[in-house]
Amino acid sequence: MDPILTVLFLGLAVSGGLYSTSVLQGGARWGGLAAVVILLAIAGSVAGHSWAGVALLNAAELCAVLLVWTQNRDAAKRYLLAVVPAILLTLAALGLLDLGAVRPAAPVDKVAVCLLIIGFALKLGLVPVYFWLPAVAARSSAMTLALIVCVVDVAAFGELYTLRLHASWIFTDFSGVWLALALASLLGGAVLALAQRDLKLMLAFSSVDDMGYLLLGLLAGGAGLSGTGFSLLSHALCKAALFGAVGIAEARIGQPVTLDTRGLAAKVPVASATFMIGAFSFIGVPPGLGFIGHWRLYMAGTEMGGPALAVCMYVATALALLTYVRAIHRTWLGAGNPAENTPASVVTSRLAAGVVLVLALSTVVLGMRPSLLPLTDGMATHTASIAAWRAR
Amino acid sequence: MEPATFPILALLAGALLQLVFARVLTPAGKGWLATIAATAALVASLSLLPSVMRGEVLHATLIGQWDAGMAVDLTVDGLSMLFIVMGTLTGAAILLFSVSYMKDEPQGLTRFYTIMLVFIAGLLVLACAANLLLAYLAWEVIGLCSYSLVGFWYTQQHAVDGARKVLVMTHLAGYGFLFGILALYSATGTFVWSDPVVAGKFTTGIAALFLVAAMAKSVLFPLHTWIPEAMNAPTPVSALLHSACYVKAGVYLIARMYAIGPWSGGHLSTALLVVGCVTILVGVIFAMAQTDLKRLLAFHTVSQLGYIVAGLALGSDLGIAAGLFYCFSHALFKGTLFLVAGAVQHATGTRDLRQLGGLASVMPKTAKIWIIAAASIAGVPLTNGFVAKWLLFGAALDKGLVAVVLVGWVGSILTAFSFLKATVNTFYGVQPANLRGKHIHEASPSMLTGMGIMAALCLLFGIAPQLLMIPLIVPGVQSLGFHWDVTLSWFGILTDRGAVQLSIGAIVVLVSVLLGLAVFAAVRRPAIPRVSGFTGGEPLPAGDRPGAVDFAGMAEHAFHPVYAADPDPLYFGLWRRMSTCSTAVQRAVRPVLELHPLVAVSLLTVAVVVGVWMP
Repeated sequence: MDPILTVLFLGLAVSGGLYSTSVLQGGARWGGLAAVVILLAIAGSVAGHSWAGVALLNAAELCAVLLVWTQNRDAAKRYLLAVVPAILLTLAALGLLDLGAVRPAAPVDKVAVCLLIIGFALKLGLVPVYFWLPAVAARSSAMTLALIVCVVDVAAFGELYTLRLHASWIFTDFSGVWLALALASLLGGAVLALAQRDLKLMLAFSSVDDMGYLLLGLLAGGAGLSGTGFSLLSHALCKAALFGAVGIAEARIGQPVTLDTRGLAAKVPVASATFMIGAFSFIGVPPGLGFIGHWRLYMAGTEMGGPALAVCMYVATALALLTYVRAIHRTWLGAGNPAENTPASVVTSRLAAGVVLVLALSTVVLGMRPSLLPLTDGMATHTASIAAWRAR
Repeated sequence: MEPATFPILALLAGALLQLVFARVLTPAGKGWLATIAATAALVASLSLLPSVMRGEVLHATLIGQWDAGMAVDLTVDGLSMLFIVMGTLTGAAILLFSVSYMKDEPQGLTRFYTIMLVFIAGLLVLACAANLLLAYLAWEVIGLCSYSLVGFWYTQQHAVDGARKVLVMTHLAGYGFLFGILALYSATGTFVWSDPVVAGKFTTGIAALFLVAAMAKSVLFPLHTWIPEAMNAPTPVSALLHSACYVKAGVYLIARMYAIGPWSGGHLSTALLVVGCVTILVGVIFAMAQTDLKRLLAFHTVSQLGYIVAGLALGSDLGIAAGLFYCFSHALFKGTLFLVAGAVQHATGTRDLRQLGGLASVMPKTAKIWIIAAASIAGVPLTNGFVAKWLLFGAALDKGLVAVVLVGWVGSILTAFSFLKATVNTFYGVQPANLRGKHIHEASPSMLTGMGIMAALCLLFGIAPQLLMIPLIVPGVQSLGFHWDVTLSWFGILTDRGAVQLSIGAIVVLVSVLLGLAVFAAVRRPAIPRVSGFTGGEPLPAGDRPGAVDFAGMAEHAFHPVYAADPDPLYFGLWRRMSTCSTAVQRAVRPVLELHPLVAVSLLTVAVVVGVWMP
């Protein structure tokens, strides 16, 4: 996973750099900090599953707090309130587990797992400890949010993914707790996303929903694990495109994009197309990369939890679809609001629009050719296990 | 490259060329390019026909590597061939119509033609998909294409509202197909539908999941309510969506299920038959109340899909043949009807039946084409619609299901009434005031050719149905595991089963009508009223004529309870409750989880500790 994350973060670094030259985010200090966040994340993924990697990724998280600080101190304080305990808890847990290399004797193993779960829940903003997310989403620029959701959170989830490979007992022996956390985030995130009127908040909560899916994949293993890999990539690319599109629209109309905004497609058509492609790919509509991940997650989830879990996943997906389609149709498509006058001086950057469109289209290309990604498709072992079962 | 890939490649090449030459081509040039691509696809499809007629199954690979170790593999059998020819034939005719119809569109033509070609290609991939996951991909690509095309005028609220409804209703139901596929895979370890191991695991539950998806796509009651809203699309889109590329995807899936595994014969096929019959009646009753020409046609699509699915649900060789023949015939006459509606709107600026009339004098060729297609949908002899109904009724009688025949018969009568209304109000009588003095023109040659080809085929396959039956329907039926030799002669007369009962029934109907006429003539010969149009019943005062509103009013009065059965308010209520519920949840949890982080962390800690320490 680490090499893929390295390439992903490099791609996002280039995209973010190009984007922020035309859609201003917060001055030179913001630009410098954003560069540091991405570089630390890249360095962390290059370092791989090691203490150096952990330290670099934690540093990236702290820099992300500084990034938010440049835009709103209250939001940054709240984010700090989550990040610092999260770092301490995960460091303690990883220390006890020696990065997953050993299983301590009981009850230390249980203590470590508790610390790990709470720490990662705080980092990823899972339900019920998402308290930092609304504040950060409401008061930060779109690209700041994109960096947190697509780089910092994805890197953190990458750590969890690696732990799943090195110490699967952390998940399989305590599956009930992980499952509860995944379901709470899956359904809670979807419901809360539907309740939002601000598009950045909506996108932030839908990330929580998606993290629930990813956790389910980790828990299921096999095809679910490869589904998590594909979905994690899709999550990062789609969310970058979605936040980027919203950022362009905000720059164009000079105010936050909410469900009361109308007819953006006439003003920013490329950003509108980007939002639509990104949204559908994210939800898992073919032929996007999200579909390649999601069908594995649906299958693994159903095999693990039976029809009840299948229904939960379906409900969450349906809620996500309704949320995104409502946003598309109320905000982007349809007639514009004559009362909303755009300043004549504001010209949408073609560069920024092109960048986000490329990000969205890349999810479609990878969805058509997932074999381009050096991820195991997870199906060979799955098919073999079915064949063995049939033979029995 | 294998020949079986040519039809799809021709369409995709056309789409690619649209993008490459977007800045060079004129609006008409884009239309011609799309038409040529679709025609090339049709020719390529027809070149495969001899092999398929010999019973061969063609295999090809479109993309070497896709997902989960699978390639994008195609399998072309009799059923695939039927849908390939139907899609490319109607697609080519509709694109030819579009050349002139769309040329004045100020923007978005590259997008329009590109997506139209991908739309047709999507149907072809679905029909040829060798594995079910690829079929699902094509299923959803078709959905996305229709969403984009219905919302083509994306700054118009009614257009995007229609697109939203199409997407939400069909995509959410489409998960039935995906979850069914995944359940099959979990049980068998393969996505290849022709693998014998799949048949053994194709349970009733999985079949039911497939059917839910098919019901939404094929506008079966109660999942049909998206289709009237989708008519806010440009007319060629409506024609393609209604005739071949969208609603027929569900029909394909239902038919294909016979090849996947045994599912019919039990409660599920009975339920599908009931759904088909209810859909026939609901569709036509709602159609009768419409005053918008395209909306009326949209509800007739619902009704006609009921006939097709009822035929397939019968589960016999003749029933399947009837369903497939009906499917192809519907593509021809419904495509024609939508194109004529578009030509009328193009010429007059309206499709409101209350503002139309007397167009036969200024659009005589268009009127003739309409009448052929209208006669076909109503099941008038010498048209393919008659043959389709004849086959269906024969198949139902063959299984002793008189109720199905009765429902079909009532549906046909109401369809005839509805089209009499539409025909008279559009083409006959006196031109209404809003059209007088307006320059109303006959459709252009390319539009007439597009419509005319399909109307001519309606007549051809009505007079000589063997021409459709032998090359396409019989291989289609046989590819689903039924062994049936065609016994159809000229005019659709069956020469073996069901013919006697059906002929007796037809004679009884004919005699009843003649007797009624005789009694009417003998008892009360009415004075010839000086009315300007067909009254549909009692003569009206001189100079007056029953308009679309009168007819709609009568229908609403007569079928009032049926209109109350519209499931849309239920869906809307569900959405509203969900929305309210999510807001309430947010309000409830915000003070605890967002504003008091310590409480949130404590809650999680307690839950995790309890969970981890629990045995």
